[in-house]
Amino acid sequence: MKVRLQALAVLSSALFALVFLGAEKPRPRVEPIKARIGVISIITGQGAGYGEAITNGIRLARDEVNARGEVYIDLKIEDSSGKQEQALSAAQKLIHSEQVVAIIGPTLSNEMKVVGPEANASGVPIMGTSTTAKGITQIGKYVFRNALPESQAIPASIGMAVKKYNLRQVALLYGNDDVFTKSGFDTMKEVSENRKLRILTVQEFQKGQADYKAQLTKIASLRPDAVFCSALYEEGAVILSQARKMGIKVPFVGGNGFNSPKVIEIARDAADGLIVATPWFVDRNDPKVKAFVAKYEKAYGKKPDQFAAQAYDAFHIVANALKAAGAADRDRLRDALAATKDFDGVLGKFSFDAERDVVMEPNVLIVQGGKFRVFQ
Amino acid sequence: MEWINPYHLQVASFVLINVILGTSIYVTLSTGQLSLGNAGFMSIGAYAAALLATKYALPIPVGVAAGALLAGAAGALVGIPSLRLSGVYLAIATLGFGEVIRAVAINWESLTGGAVGIAAIPQMGRVVLAGARDLGFSPASLGLKPNQFISLTVFLILLVAAVLTVAFFLRLGRSRVGRAYAAIRLDERAAEASGIPVTYYKVLAFSQGAMVSGLAGALYAHATSFISPADFTYHRAVEILVFAVFGGSGHILGPAFGAAFLTVVPEALRAISHYRYILYGVLVVLVVIYRPQGVIDPPLLRRMRGDRAAEAA
Amino acid sequence: MFLEQLINGVTLGSIYAIVALGYTLVFGVLDIINMAHGEIFMFGAFVGMLLVSKAGVPLPVAFLGAIAVTGAMGFLLERAALRPLRSRPGASNLASLISTIGVSILLENAAHRIFGAGNHPFETPFAEIRFPVGPVNVYLVQVLILLISLLLMAGLALWLSRTRGGKALRATAEDLTTAGLLGVDTDRMITVTVVIASAMGGVAGVLIGMAFNYINNQIGLSMGLKGLAIIIFGGMGSVYGAMAGGLILGLSETFVVAYGSSGYRDAIAFVIIIGVLLVRPQGLFGQAAPGTGH
Repeated sequence: MKVRLQALAVLSSALFALVFLGAEKPRPRVEPIKARIGVISIITGQGAGYGEAITNGIRLARDEVNARGEVYIDLKIEDSSGKQEQALSAAQKLIHSEQVVAIIGPTLSNEMKVVGPEANASGVPIMGTSTTAKGITQIGKYVFRNALPESQAIPASIGMAVKKYNLRQVALLYGNDDVFTKSGFDTMKEVSENRKLRILTVQEFQKGQADYKAQLTKIASLRPDAVFCSALYEEGAVILSQARKMGIKVPFVGGNGFNSPKVIEIARDAADGLIVATPWFVDRNDPKVKAFVAKYEKAYGKKPDQFAAQAYDAFHIVANALKAAGAADRDRLRDALAATKDFDGVLGKFSFDAERDVVMEPNVLIVQGGKFRVFQ
Repeated sequence: MEWINPYHLQVASFVLINVILGTSIYVTLSTGQLSLGNAGFMSIGAYAAALLATKYALPIPVGVAAGALLAGAAGALVGIPSLRLSGVYLAIATLGFGEVIRAVAINWESLTGGAVGIAAIPQMGRVVLAGARDLGFSPASLGLKPNQFISLTVFLILLVAAVLTVAFFLRLGRSRVGRAYAAIRLDERAAEASGIPVTYYKVLAFSQGAMVSGLAGALYAHATSFISPADFTYHRAVEILVFAVFGGSGHILGPAFGAAFLTVVPEALRAISHYRYILYGVLVVLVVIYRPQGVIDPPLLRRMRGDRAAEAA
Repeated sequence: MFLEQLINGVTLGSIYAIVALGYTLVFGVLDIINMAHGEIFMFGAFVGMLLVSKAGVPLPVAFLGAIAVTGAMGFLLERAALRPLRSRPGASNLASLISTIGVSILLENAAHRIFGAGNHPFETPFAEIRFPVGPVNVYLVQVLILLISLLLMAGLALWLSRTRGGKALRATAEDLTTAGLLGVDTDRMITVTVVIASAMGGVAGVLIGMAFNYINNQIGLSMGLKGLAIIIFGGMGSVYGAMAGGLILGLSETFVVAYGSSGYRDAIAFVIIIGVLLVRPQGLFGQAAPGTGH
């Protein structure tokens, strides 16, 4: 019922937005606004799985936008290999050689911390679609993001889980050599302490680790009511499958990074009982989401994850801002981007706050019977 | 001045940092010791410079010098017990040292910020621009945009650092120290028998190599303005080794060439992004097979010099 | 919990040992570190995974398929990246180190193009079989891994010490030229060694997939680094050193998590290396004086 109401609200506001936009601006029949937009993503090396989803989402959005005919966008995609130097070189190439009007990416927060200041100093709007660490948009007024930080996602999922299962004592598990998972863990710890949960143990793992049994055995022996796990889905799925195999049956609570159809693909039944908070819900009863999922599946043979969805929305946000700016001008585009309000995408309603950061309501989802469902 | 493209300067800047790193592995190799601890020493230099600049607001040159010296001291500390090891044992033990340093950087959060790293390190180009503006200078007077000026400054500082480093070790090679290094590399026992204090020189070379890595790390921190443990994984150490062996470890210009060439190749192959590292791998194999001693070796240099002399005559 | 952690440690250690055996065999004969070994067993893991989950063949056939592919890769590796260097007088061991690094970069990226990025599930019904031992559950896979590692170790040790081929191999390892003069076909011996080591990589790959339930194109890198660490402190070229080193590392990594700090888990291998080498520069089971690396 609640879902249906939400969908109705989203739908009606979408209609409203359409009416208002249509009323305010006459459709330009002349030449579309031509612009070149750069993308920095991970095409080769570790993390290429995320880069693939991101570039897929962006290409899909590009085709839609170009087909509409109001703006025509020429996409330049550069590989960073997940390395900061390569990301910086790619950014310089896009800014100075390709003369792009804006950049979408890079994939990692680390990369953004190197690329962001450069783009900002050059006056090029840059928007992260997956950079969730603290202090990203604070780099400068040209830096944006539409990736929901874990500091917003995790309190939501923990809050619901605590209420529903009456959790008292928990175990924490996180990747300590990655900015994303580390930031997520900091939030988990803070929320757990605020809610007076007893933290039985804190376990760490490192990137590329294949075997989590030692950590999980320790967690299992302490019998927690739940495991709070800050991991990206690639590691997360493996952790879940190894945990269930060892007989840890309690719920796993994660953030936005843990949310992906890939978790179910890899962990199968073991994924049941995973609770995540995310703006992306693949089975949302919303025509926009359904159309996006269908198109994506047709083009790439798999369901989109939140990386693809965030990149897809990011591209549309930039394209809309470009339309509002009226010309392929970096400064006008920046101002138009900053003014984005109540953009209605596949992730729901989206606005930037005063610091160009995300304003979004995450949904809390749980995996049941091999499917993400709304957690109630 | 439109032709000054910050992108090209950026790539050139990374080339220069890698040239310094290539030199660092060459220096220890010139005594026959294969050290793969360069990524670890590089991180010591980078973290020291970054912390001194961000926490204590010390001027950049002070931090860079301190970073290099600290790395050099660490090199001496690691070098002494490493005297017992050689060949691959030394290589993997020093590689292990680098990994341990990285684990410390990840876990010692109060100092290093852990995985989150250190951001907002003063970038040398921007600092120079700010200083110049205070003195009433505007890059426009040279016909440069601010970001062109910044990139050019970084490039020039790194160029000076790289040239000085290579020149120093070129000269050292012709000095008593350099001849002692070469003697140790050829035959350690014979060198010892002829009265060369082998232990002293081996530790010296180790420490010098570490210092150069630390210098590269400190410059890297001030060029990218952000560092984290992910910058100093063993991939970096292996990459530096490839620079040296690919370019040629028999002469200091070999690693410099290797660093320059192998930094530019992935950039030049951007057009085929999906396949560029496959091609990179093929290229490394082919060159090593056709020139196993490295692209640049002393006979080649002699030939080039001879040709030039012949042309001049 | 101790017993469970012990089982975890022994399983992990056995896997490390199988990986390390591949390195140590090649090093023992050729005096070079084959940096492409990790990527070869990664390919083995993918072949095994495709055969089991996509083609639905029985597990033993998957093992054979993986062995065939990695063995062939070993053959190609020897022909393309090692043999051309052997005939060249100027080539140091560093040259072959770099050429195998080149092959590993090539293979890692090729695997990304061929098999796709990210993790792939590795599922076999066999991996689900378990039985209770006292208070804990033991998976049959864990027993199998330990058995295979012991079998491979014993087989290799026997082959090297007792058979004609093994003797020829040791002669080749001792002195390439003299062995050649004495009528040993050294090129063939070296090819056989690299092929056997790579085939063992195929076995290792499939076992890793079954033990951890997933594979990706990066496992060669992370597991390979551990294998490298093991042969150093186990003693280069020593079969028993690889086995003992693998178990020591697996157990230390597990128990540092159980009773210490999991934050340092990945660094423990290198702490052990540094510790062991300071006391015994030739490694635990190493016989040759150090310095043969050049």
